[in-house]
Amino acid sequence: MSNYQKTIGIEVHVELKTKEKLFSPSINYYGNLANTNCNIIDLGYPGVLPTLNREALDLAIKGATVLNCNIREKMHFDRKNYFYPDNPKNFQITEERTPIGYEGYVEIDDDGVKKKIEILEMHIEEDTCKSIHSKERTLLDFNRAGVPLVEIVTKPCMHTSREAVLYLEKLRELLLYAGVSDCKIEEGSMRCDANISISKDDNLGVKVEVKNIGSITNVGLAIDYEAKRQEELLEKGEKLHEETRRYDAKLNKTILMRVKETGNDYRYFPEPDIPYVILTKEHIKKVQEDIPVLAHVRREKYLKAGISLLNSNKLIANKDLSDYLEEFQDINLKTASNLLLGDISAYLNKNNKSIFDTKLTKDKFSLIVKKLDDSLISNKNFKDIVVDVMERDIDIDSLLKEKGIENVVDDKLVLDIINKVLNDNEKVVSDYLGGNERSLKFLMGQVMKESHGSVNPKIANDLLIKELDKRK
Amino acid sequence: MSNYLDLDIKEIHELLVNKKIKPIDLVEESFKRINDNELNAFITLDYEGAKKRALELENMEVPTDNLLFGIPIAIKDNIMVKDLKCTCASHILENFVSIYDASVVELIKDLGMIIIGKTNMDEFAMGSTSETSYFKAPINPWNKNKVPGGSSGGSAVSVAARFTPLALGSDTGGSIRQPASFNGIVGMKPTYGRVSRFGLVAFASSLDQIGPMTRNVYENALLLNAISKGDPKDLTSFETDEDFTRLIGKDIKDMKIAIPNYFVSDVVDKDVLEVFNKVIEMLASKGCKIDYVDVNHIDKAAILYQIIAMGEASSNLARFDGIRYGLSLKEDTLEDLYKKTRTSGFGREVKRRIMVGSYILSGENAKIYYNKALQIRDDLKKSFEKIFEDYDLILGPTSSRVAYDVNINHDDPLRSFMDDILVMHANMGGFPSMSLPMGFIDELPIGMQIMGKGFSEAKIYQLGSFIEKELNLNLKVGAR
Repeated sequence: MSNYQKTIGIEVHVELKTKEKLFSPSINYYGNLANTNCNIIDLGYPGVLPTLNREALDLAIKGATVLNCNIREKMHFDRKNYFYPDNPKNFQITEERTPIGYEGYVEIDDDGVKKKIEILEMHIEEDTCKSIHSKERTLLDFNRAGVPLVEIVTKPCMHTSREAVLYLEKLRELLLYAGVSDCKIEEGSMRCDANISISKDDNLGVKVEVKNIGSITNVGLAIDYEAKRQEELLEKGEKLHEETRRYDAKLNKTILMRVKETGNDYRYFPEPDIPYVILTKEHIKKVQEDIPVLAHVRREKYLKAGISLLNSNKLIANKDLSDYLEEFQDINLKTASNLLLGDISAYLNKNNKSIFDTKLTKDKFSLIVKKLDDSLISNKNFKDIVVDVMERDIDIDSLLKEKGIENVVDDKLVLDIINKVLNDNEKVVSDYLGGNERSLKFLMGQVMKESHGSVNPKIANDLLIKELDKRK
Repeated sequence: MSNYLDLDIKEIHELLVNKKIKPIDLVEESFKRINDNELNAFITLDYEGAKKRALELENMEVPTDNLLFGIPIAIKDNIMVKDLKCTCASHILENFVSIYDASVVELIKDLGMIIIGKTNMDEFAMGSTSETSYFKAPINPWNKNKVPGGSSGGSAVSVAARFTPLALGSDTGGSIRQPASFNGIVGMKPTYGRVSRFGLVAFASSLDQIGPMTRNVYENALLLNAISKGDPKDLTSFETDEDFTRLIGKDIKDMKIAIPNYFVSDVVDKDVLEVFNKVIEMLASKGCKIDYVDVNHIDKAAILYQIIAMGEASSNLARFDGIRYGLSLKEDTLEDLYKKTRTSGFGREVKRRIMVGSYILSGENAKIYYNKALQIRDDLKKSFEKIFEDYDLILGPTSSRVAYDVNINHDDPLRSFMDDILVMHANMGGFPSMSLPMGFIDELPIGMQIMGKGFSEAKIYQLGSFIEKELNLNLKVGAR
């Protein structure tokens, strides 16, 4: 067993969900054709000046608030100077000296043990271009240039990969639910870097940075791999160097990118084109009051409605589904959640869609939930019609009729089916009459099978018991 | 050939309103004068564009309340005019064509002024002789062996030689006022934020300001009326709405004037001081109250300028890297592309300033130099503001000397900063300051500056116009 202690600090970049970019009126939207969301400001043309997107400031206030940070009332932006093709002006506008949020924390719950992960600071900055490397060329997509980011930096206060993972999950949940960011790691709107060092005593060891890890799970794997790598080197008597590495998920390895040069010189100085930003106490309060209901409130509501903890967490993590559910006042949450997490999620994942981009109107969904609750349709029925429900402008009753899975509510027809089943299964019937309750379930199954699932299960069940009683 | 361009703008306007002349007549005369005099005032001329615009204006009613309608104007080549080259007098932007209009250019076009071309200047506005231009340096119309000053040398020459009645310059540490002084014209550096900088290629963002260069004070106020407007695209601009001509002609009796002792010390040539002192005597005799004052930190402006302007310039000019626009010398590695493009693209003075600026911001130096300079700049601003509590305006010579021989600054990069030691304070404090002609030394014009507190341009014009009237100098080249 290792007698080294890991020390971990996490830096997260999160894209703010604003309509426009941080310093220009270009659209902030992921997924459009390359270089369509950019103007002369994003391209760093000569003569252009930055404006300041107030919506980004407000989202940063919300972010700082849910991370329990102090919020700075007077701040300025700074220029970070370095040459790189993805950096159009060859300086990045950031908040080096006056981060908007500072000294906060995120509380994690590690199997009932609560721990506060300390946040050093949260600052606002602009994103760079996206570089696309193809063979010998590098292409630049300026759609991302100038997208507002916040960078959230923890103190080196975590000691296990599990803590780091729990921190990131909680951080994501908090920012997602405050409406700060959509926190999609796969689209790059949340990017995680981990600083890892190991030591046998209280002094911190040599810090290695692992950059741009592709998922929260991988952050845990990367930390464990990196700590083990460092330990092996130290045990061999080798010296560690401050360096930047990346994590290769396929190989489950960290790979050297560059050795840190002594004192990176970014020639910071205050951005002269943006005057000091003053946030009044009243404004901060107003923005804070506007923070939407947070995840834990929803989670409590779900648990109270009888949804399992696992399913509650799944709903929370899939904010679109949870938001969708919020639109309903009187609905059986449990039935609704089963539907959302079952066939509907399967459909959405398969088609890579958001629930808000389907034809599942509020009216349709509440009718389906009601019909399921009243046993007017079965889960199997829904599975058969889910694609039509999601893709077509058709009301549920017409759809059921069209698909021929209208429920048989005619008692006479149901009775015929029941009696056929009873006649075909005399042995089971006598078992039931002899007191074997489980036989009822079998017979009911046969009735559903015989009717191809088209009878109302509740009505059929009542009739079945009545018919059996007659045979006593 | 007619000589409409020697008339006052009011007179030209009358002729236009009464349909005695058309805008095209002014355009033709302007280009004739430019072509007849080889003064290298322009880097780019837009004859076709100007003609086209003049013909468009012909079909419009001349608005009687817009004196600037149809008047030719020259634009310094660091201000963006859509579809025209914007070279900043640099090899690195030699073939760069602007795809947008600067905010001031939009205003100028909207008011029906006609853009004749883009004027010569020091490369990226760095210099005070216009000799750092990548192109053939502009020539002082008063004496072809003398520099026209800089960096807005081409704009000053265009107005002094009566090519255009109006020009725009930019002033980071005297670049409008010093060439105005050397060319016998009026140049105003407005209050920082009075005129939008959107579309002005940044040199030192916290000091840069666009301003009007004209033949007389009244026309200067008119042009400032046209270009001063709050701009949502420039967060450092202010929305103000005033008529800068409104105090012109008002009595200046009892006006309180301060003259910093430094402005009349031995940093200024004796013959310049003689001319200046005569003007002060005249003002005293007309009832102005004049005091000589000490101003804290006043001797430090040149040092502050070198630190702040070069620090900011090193960052502002980083975008010229050969990747997106401008000169690009393709090489195998990224680093070589940067190196080769920038080494070849920038001239000596620009490279010198980028190097010094990078050094000043580097590591601990930022604290020792840049941050310290910002503090002293703040103190300097406050000490001037204290003077403005008791005085209406501050007066001094514009330049420590009259226009000097060409090619003498080349071996001494510090020498050119000395030209501007009397005018940089206005940039440091964001104050408005205007240079206007105060006399002649050996047949060369020399200017004086009037500086006021923030947003006091109207008062500066009031006193400036009074001095102009009293001195009644003949400022037409060759007419003396």
